[in-house]
Amino acid sequence: MTQFTRREFLRAGAAGAGVGVLGLSLGGGLAGCAAPLTADIAPTTRRRVVVIGGGWGGATAAKYIRMGDPSIEVILLEPNREFVSCPFSNLVLSGVRKIDSITFGYDGLRRHGVRVLHEAATAIEPDRRRVRLADGYLQYDRLIVSPGVEFQWEQVEGLAANQDKVLHAWKAGPQTVQLARQLQSMPDGGVFVLTVPPIAFRCPPGPYERACQVAWYLKTHKPKSKLIVLDANQNIVSKTGLFREAWKAYPNLEYRASNKVIAVDPGLREVRTEFDKVKYDVVNLIPPQRAGTIAVQADLVGADKRWCEVNHTTYESVKHKNVHVLGDSTIGLPVPKSGNVANAMGKICAIAVVALLNDKPVPLMAPGNTCYSWVSDREAIAVVNAYKIENGKVVQIEQTLTPAQSPFVAQRAEGWAKSIWHDVLG
Amino acid sequence: MHTMATALLACTALLAVLAVSDGWAAGPFDAPGFTKVFTCTACHGPAGNSPSDSMPILAGMPPAYFKKQIAAYATGKRPSPEMAPYAKMVMHLGADDVAAYFAAQKMQPAKSAADPAAVERGRKASDQCIVCHGKEGKGDVDKGIPSLAGQPAGFLREQMLLFKTDKRNPGDVQLKAIKAIMATIQDATFADLAAYYSSLR
Repeated sequence: MTQFTRREFLRAGAAGAGVGVLGLSLGGGLAGCAAPLTADIAPTTRRRVVVIGGGWGGATAAKYIRMGDPSIEVILLEPNREFVSCPFSNLVLSGVRKIDSITFGYDGLRRHGVRVLHEAATAIEPDRRRVRLADGYLQYDRLIVSPGVEFQWEQVEGLAANQDKVLHAWKAGPQTVQLARQLQSMPDGGVFVLTVPPIAFRCPPGPYERACQVAWYLKTHKPKSKLIVLDANQNIVSKTGLFREAWKAYPNLEYRASNKVIAVDPGLREVRTEFDKVKYDVVNLIPPQRAGTIAVQADLVGADKRWCEVNHTTYESVKHKNVHVLGDSTIGLPVPKSGNVANAMGKICAIAVVALLNDKPVPLMAPGNTCYSWVSDREAIAVVNAYKIENGKVVQIEQTLTPAQSPFVAQRAEGWAKSIWHDVLG
Repeated sequence: MHTMATALLACTALLAVLAVSDGWAAGPFDAPGFTKVFTCTACHGPAGNSPSDSMPILAGMPPAYFKKQIAAYATGKRPSPEMAPYAKMVMHLGADDVAAYFAAQKMQPAKSAADPAAVERGRKASDQCIVCHGKEGKGDVDKGIPSLAGQPAGFLREQMLLFKTDKRNPGDVQLKAIKAIMATIQDATFADLAAYYSSLR
């Protein structure tokens, strides 16, 4: 990965935009706390879309806007230098895949002319149509907010203070690798506890796929060990029958429904549910979730203070004009919080934004969802949802499930991943 | 007459632009049908040119064949948990428009990574396939026989297995002959045949 400093970014951007000479230099006369806020860090005469978040939704939207109308400048704000795919990351826990195989750079987006800035947006000012960064701001014509989920640490006692020891691995990346190491170094005969938060959360089948991968790993490498799944929900929330069937191969997996975790104590190596205490050797606590922090701070969330309501055909926020919200942060559409849905939303939003910036009518477009789960090292299952727009709202046409787990479904999962990673970033 | 010639010229110029552009470069969102196919790209790739081994390439597919398969997926005649809902989505959006979009895209054949020995074995095993799919594997549009040339090998192999086990269009009398042929072929040979047809251009 090439390091892209702000100075380089500005230089590259200026060349790309044909602006020539930028009207300001950073660090010089504008050094200090307040001064940079008085100026756009990369002024432009072109129409500009700023995208916050380079995940499945944001990266797709940024790319497709550039494809749809190259005269629009697109700036993507993403603190991480690499994209690590959450889909397929459970296979890293079981050692079936390496993290490198699900890690990608942002150069593909750059080739589309997206200006990728590895910085965090610190605030949104919808009334002034600008996004603030650590220093300075970016003016926008339209803003796309795709920040993913944030964890509600405070919902589980002892969690906030122990974020380094109690791993979530629910945002693929360093924690995925750390949790895989914890699993590998767990003594045989140990207990791995996986906790599932109450809905809504990112990737509804994800915890149960993870249970399969951990159970498969233990069965294969540590046969005296045990996996206990503590689920805050009353039942497996996605692909229920298929997971139940898959778990028949894992007598080392103990599933406890309606067991909401309310506290964790890494000193005692213990989690506490509403009724019980459970000892662990390794714990994977998936915390309750809400929309990314910037969406909450910018008042894009609804009365629940957790998720963002949007127009179903443009993904424009119902609370702020010219601000669109994508992916896991949204609520109100009958779609799961999945990478495939975020990718579809990214495309729909991009087409809508291009239309809106060109004073054209927005076509009515609905997302689709293809979602594979790996139930062992070589077999997978899937759920597929197709949708349509009816009276301005997303409505499901049909949902299907694979009849059974199979290596063929797994092959198609591999194909899906390769294609959609390309669709997001290529 | 003059106006018509100008219009024709403009049309030709437009076609030329579309032909040289890489899928979407020239006002892609305005291409007829684009806003009905964007969901498909997640699996089937840009403009229907699948980059993966297991998803078929839709670019350049004859509309009649495309629509026949969509209808078969939607009714369950060709069982596929993945395609059943999406086929209904295509029907809802208008199968004619979606079919026309993919037919208008230039096919970029699958990148062949197969070893030459497998391709050669496949060529030698292809005698029975040639009867319907032709020497170059391009099929016959008028008879509704699909082209196999340049499709991803993994996809071709899976379809052959589905034919052999009567899981593709179970009980379909029109496909009785191909299923009878597939039943005589060893599973291992399917990989060779797939490598061969995938390598054709």
